[in-house]
Amino acid sequence: MHPTPDPGTFSGITEGLAALILLTEFAMLRSAMLRSQVRLYSFQSLVVAALASAVAAARGIPDLFILAGLTLVLKVILIPGIIFRVMRGSKVDLAGSHRLNVATMIFIGISVSVFGFLAVEGLDIHSATLPTPALGTAVAVVLVSFVVIILRGDVVSQAVGFFSLENGVSVASLVVAAGLPFIVEVAFLVDLLVAVVVFGVLMRVHHMKADTLSTDVLDRLKG
Amino acid sequence: MGAILVVILVMPVVVGLVAWRSSPALAGGLTVSAGVATFGLALALVPGVGSHSVLALDSWLRADALSVVFLVATAFLYAVTSIFAVGYLHGPKREPREVLDGSRRLGGPLNLITFSTPAEPGTLLYSQRFWAGLNFFAWSMAVAPIVNSLALLWVAIEITTVISALLVAIDNTEGATEASWKYVLIASMGLGIALVATIVIYYAGSTVLGSGYELFFDPLLRAAPRFPPGIVRLAFVLAVLGYGTKMGLFPVHTWLPDAHSEAPTPVSALLSGSLLTIAFYAILRYYQIAIRSVGVAFPREVLLAFGIASLVLAALYLLSQRDLKRLFAYSSIEHMGILMIGMSFGVTIAVVGVLIHVLAHAAAKATAFFGAGSVMRRLGTKDMTQIRGGIGLLPWSGPMLVLAILGLSAAPPFGIFRSEFLIVYGGLSDPQDVAVAILVAGVTMAFFGLSWYGTQAMVTPAPEGAIRGETSGWIVAAMLVGLIALAMLGIHPPAQLDHLLARAAAELGPPR
Amino acid sequence: MLPAWLAQVLQVLTVALGAPLVSGVIAKIEARLQGRRGPRVLQPYYDLAKLFRKETLMPEESSWVFLAAPVVAFTCYLIVPLLIPELTNFGLPLSYTADILGGAFILALAGFSVSLAAAETGAPYAQLGSSRAMTFGALIEPSILFITFVVGIVTSTDLPFVEAAAARSSLSQAILPAHLLAAIAFFLVVISDTGRIPVETHASTTELGMIDEGRTLEWSGPPFALLKWGSNMKQVILYVILLDVFAAPWGLAGSLAAGSVLLAIPILLGKAVGVGAVLTLSDNTFSKLRLFKLTEFMAAAFLLAVLAILTLYVGYA
Repeated sequence: MHPTPDPGTFSGITEGLAALILLTEFAMLRSAMLRSQVRLYSFQSLVVAALASAVAAARGIPDLFILAGLTLVLKVILIPGIIFRVMRGSKVDLAGSHRLNVATMIFIGISVSVFGFLAVEGLDIHSATLPTPALGTAVAVVLVSFVVIILRGDVVSQAVGFFSLENGVSVASLVVAAGLPFIVEVAFLVDLLVAVVVFGVLMRVHHMKADTLSTDVLDRLKG
Repeated sequence: MGAILVVILVMPVVVGLVAWRSSPALAGGLTVSAGVATFGLALALVPGVGSHSVLALDSWLRADALSVVFLVATAFLYAVTSIFAVGYLHGPKREPREVLDGSRRLGGPLNLITFSTPAEPGTLLYSQRFWAGLNFFAWSMAVAPIVNSLALLWVAIEITTVISALLVAIDNTEGATEASWKYVLIASMGLGIALVATIVIYYAGSTVLGSGYELFFDPLLRAAPRFPPGIVRLAFVLAVLGYGTKMGLFPVHTWLPDAHSEAPTPVSALLSGSLLTIAFYAILRYYQIAIRSVGVAFPREVLLAFGIASLVLAALYLLSQRDLKRLFAYSSIEHMGILMIGMSFGVTIAVVGVLIHVLAHAAAKATAFFGAGSVMRRLGTKDMTQIRGGIGLLPWSGPMLVLAILGLSAAPPFGIFRSEFLIVYGGLSDPQDVAVAILVAGVTMAFFGLSWYGTQAMVTPAPEGAIRGETSGWIVAAMLVGLIALAMLGIHPPAQLDHLLARAAAELGPPR
Repeated sequence: MLPAWLAQVLQVLTVALGAPLVSGVIAKIEARLQGRRGPRVLQPYYDLAKLFRKETLMPEESSWVFLAAPVVAFTCYLIVPLLIPELTNFGLPLSYTADILGGAFILALAGFSVSLAAAETGAPYAQLGSSRAMTFGALIEPSILFITFVVGIVTSTDLPFVEAAAARSSLSQAILPAHLLAAIAFFLVVISDTGRIPVETHASTTELGMIDEGRTLEWSGPPFALLKWGSNMKQVILYVILLDVFAAPWGLAGSLAAGSVLLAIPILLGKAVGVGAVLTLSDNTFSKLRLFKLTEFMAAAFLLAVLAILTLYVGYA
């Protein structure tokens, strides 16, 4: 073993931000209250915006500033706002539900993260914009968000899990595809907004029908 | 020629917007016209793309033979489904459903675009939403094969998800809500993976093309041989898994039977006949890149594995269904598996078979769903143990449904017989004996499942006191058109179509 | 210039004599936070002096282990200060007799001997406390191991001094995610090992919620004084490791000059009080987790430690 090389302040900060995004994802796995779930998503998006700005400033890609701004408006303010709006109609179910106990879920999350990191390690990917560990973190975020979607048993957590999946993909694209054409990035964001509306609609319809936000009642269709 | 692409890009949206705010009669008429017009435009593209690809809008729109095959399938369904939907919406009796108390009103600006005001079938609001949604849905599916960028392709397919999720939920029943939630969640997860695939392929491209390039097909295909193979393999597997979720491949098919059985019948027909194959189209685009970069062996193995798993699973489920629409849904999974297996054989004749299969499956499955809708309308149930004497009660659509089911289970002389024959023939000449054996066994099992339940429901004495007669002429017309197309594909496809398919198969083959 | 052996002795004495003071100051801060006047800052010394004057009582069933355990534990706490960077930022002669794992083992031996003796008494609360202490000790153990691995990967050694030096060497090393994550993970370990909220209510008198405190219920007189003193020292030792190895390895003497070494003593005690104040603040902000939810806390510590490893492994392995 040799001592690690000095990674530089930029990569230190960006890796720290990426790790923060992953930690937020784990917090979503745990958080009991649905409102804190949405706030966590908002915070995570804020960190994504900060990361995008950091890359934009350090690597001279001004497009990313616009992207960070859009992320700020859409993911930090607008989307959580819509979800809160939908949730306001529901007086019950402020607490989410877990299918397994929290420690087990965290360990599953840790396992898939390790898998994600090792998988990225196995690939020969070099990034001009961000340190490679950030890609491992992004993949881990995506995988943990799957765990959130699968193991949380309420529609708000599942929807938030899906949106945070997009956050993980955003980080991944910052690492390997920071030059991705701007028009495409905007298309992704707009598309996300549409998806939010659909999730909002379904959450509302579901709530009207079942008087609960838990998905435990969604078990009619089998086979 | 480029103008045609622009018209296809614009027309359904405009019609959808008008339908959103007009009377049901006007909306239906407009939609049928738009559907027929789109189909005509798609056919008009056929001769042109035989020799070169068509570009429009500063090369953001592009149509080659491959895209036109899928465009024709989608446009055909757009036309016949709108014809069917006219009869479906305005007939006398509704499908069986448990409508719950939806009287609670929730206000807010979302009200305009959402279902927070419940609309019961038969009301003006319902039909406006339905027609608008149908047009938007058809639009998103028609746009997917003609955009010229892997990223925009992803966006188009994601849009199909959100619109179709709303359409699945439109009936406002508990089952529809559950199916829609499952669908949008699982499909979105799959598309998340597909988005990662897009980014990874972008990374692979940026090692050759530099950063900041558009993901246009032609430059990607030209540069593909120099992409890093490991990265391309990863992107391909992610794409198959991601888009495979939309396509209903095992093991990520779980949303499909629910969504197909709970959606209104016209939506089921579009989902099954067109949406699934559009996802297949996306996989084919990645396949084109992959075979240029890593050779044919790896991509074909991946396709074969997913194809066989889907086919076998669907064939098993087909033997144990009670619900008519779920039966057809599992049949869709079966046919998607056949598409994957056929593609994995790789020889030109099998690829031609796959492309015919796309068209024939669209026609057959739509006709079958239309027939199912007609039966449900007449008998008020979709539980197959309750359906008896379909042929006797429905003088036109009953026999046509039996024919469609036979067509689906690959009976001659219909198109699916021809396509599966070509695929098996291709597999034997490749030779891929084990895969062919599994394919034939799976198809045979599916044949038994489909025809056993189908005939049991249709060719039996009618229950006492049931009313005879068709519910709507529009339904009969739509089914007739579908059957004619299916038979034409089986008996004698037009020469222009043959030319188109050969050209598309060449595009899917290894580069010369 | 101080001789090196004197600096070593000073390290032990600082911990041994300073620890009750740190506890006293923290207790005072906590009382003020809760709006009480609180005990005198020097109260822990008076408590110890009082206990040393009392007689020793033994449960009938217990053996020599009961009397030996407090001495063993106290001795362990006297040894560990020799091994860690405390007053100087370079190793003293005895500092290299054990590495970071060795230090952890010695600390574990102290805990083990107390648990063993507590279990031997046969008293229900002592046994409950000892079994809980062993259970949660085992659950937090993987996090400690992974933190050790972080030190190993970052420094290529197993020495706490080198980790501290690496963190001091540049800003980019100090904000290395692995370093930060390991520091936070170790902070959680400290919370767990010093019996703070959300793991345990450290000043509680309800036996059912006790973990560490429950074990010592059977002792009295001088052995009990050693246990109390030992737990004060353990607290300071853990704070020192947290501060001088991970979080804030600044303010240590760079040479053996008498002035700088003597100056390092109040700086060290001040930093320890600072950590104690932060812990007290969190103590009074959060609520205790239910006993069966403690695994969530352990899982969080483990998660941070594993992530620290992962960011290192992918980046520079």
